Amino acid sequence: MVKAPTDWSARSHDLARLLARAGLGDRAAFATLYEQTSSHLFAVVLRINRDRAQAEDILQEVYVNVWRAASSFDAAQSQPLTWLTSIARNRAIDSLRRMHSQPQVRSVVAAGGDARDSEDEDVYDTVADDAPGPLELLSRATGARSLETCMEQLSASQRQSLALAFFQGLSHAEVAAQMREPLGTIKSWLRRSLVALKSCLEAAAQRDAKRAG
Amino acid sequence: MDYGKRALAEALAADYVLGTMRAGARRRFEALLPSHVELRRATAAWQERMMPLTASIDPVQPPGDVWRRISDRLDRRKSVVAGAWQRLSFWRSVSAFAGVAAIALAVLLASPRPAAPPVVVVLAPTEAAASGSAAAPIVASISGDGATLVTRPIVPVALRPDRSLELWAVPRDGTAPRSLGVLPSGSGATVAIRGKVLAGVDTLAVTVEPLGGSPSGAPTGPIVYAGKFSL
Repeated sequence: MVKAPTDWSARSHDLARLLARAGLGDRAAFATLYEQTSSHLFAVVLRINRDRAQAEDILQEVYVNVWRAASSFDAAQSQPLTWLTSIARNRAIDSLRRMHSQPQVRSVVAAGGDARDSEDEDVYDTVADDAPGPLELLSRATGARSLETCMEQLSASQRQSLALAFFQGLSHAEVAAQMREPLGTIKSWLRRSLVALKSCLEAAAQRDAKRAG
Repeated sequence: MDYGKRALAEALAADYVLGTMRAGARRRFEALLPSHVELRRATAAWQERMMPLTASIDPVQPPGDVWRRISDRLDRRKSVVAGAWQRLSFWRSVSAFAGVAAIALAVLLASPRPAAPPVVVVLAPTEAAASGSAAAPIVASISGDGATLVTRPIVPVALRPDRSLELWAVPRDGTAPRSLGVLPSGSGATVAIRGKVLAGVDTLAVTVEPLGGSPSGAPTGPIVYAGKFSL
């Protein structure tokens, strides 16, 4: 349903209207909003918390929250899909952090590993697996050329650490364990990736604005 | 630590949005958000930057049971709210959003003079208003003695001929809003405040109602303007 970041803005107009109506107590609008967004939010939550039952509970919490907060959603400040996805991710990450007071990290399966043989062993754990792992998701984030270009400018390790943290909701320590790198290294990779990403995206936005104007 | 500092706000917001903070740090960050505008701004900007990345995740249809459970919970919630008008929480959240400017103005006006000054309330247009007419606020001024209230739209409000705008005083304690009367379209209105109609009230809001005002005495239409204030 949500495929490319370009759809992100395109879909926003309709979703903003649905959210506004939900904020005024319109249950039918809220049901439509659920239909149009739940499979995306469920997928986002499942990436982070792979326990299906828990992911369903989280999704339920997310939409009850959305219903309550819909009236405070401000389309001028935020895109609807961004707002919804942020709520879902936050809930999912909170559930992970509650589960792991200590980081528990499953080991990385090497390229060509057999993680897919077992249903229980989640393929998303394995960064080297060819089922869409976090890294591939990052590169699949097509459409918004600037985001793609900016991602390409990061080093491979930077991209990988960013993908693990973002898609799987791993903490610094957990990313470090997965990538078998010292915590300090991971922190500095991530820090530098974020700074680079931001300035690259801002520069791209400025270029776009210039071209448009 | 000064969380207003831009660079620090940036770094914290980036970590928060990326999701690498531990539980304690996340909770502390979330607790700081309401009172730190720079943190909120930086967080929103990072969310806007990062969330489109999730577009590459293949959607997964949740089981139908999830919607039923959500729906049940909303039904239960609805039934515990008494009265004809069940969405008071909406007023709370809208006004919390719209009210910051109003409070600032009121404080500004209140400080220099000891005699009770008028209180100015900015009623900001809500989502519902933005879709219809020009998104300019209505300003309401309550006289220092609390006896009159004057409203003035910043630009004339376009409205269907069979509709009226009605002004409501919304009590802080969540009880039913009280009507302050119908606003004439266009220029603005002076409303005589009867008795203690503003007692315990912290929000003014405007709804779209059938011509002449709500038939039931409770708001029925969408809220198009809202603003918080304190007397």
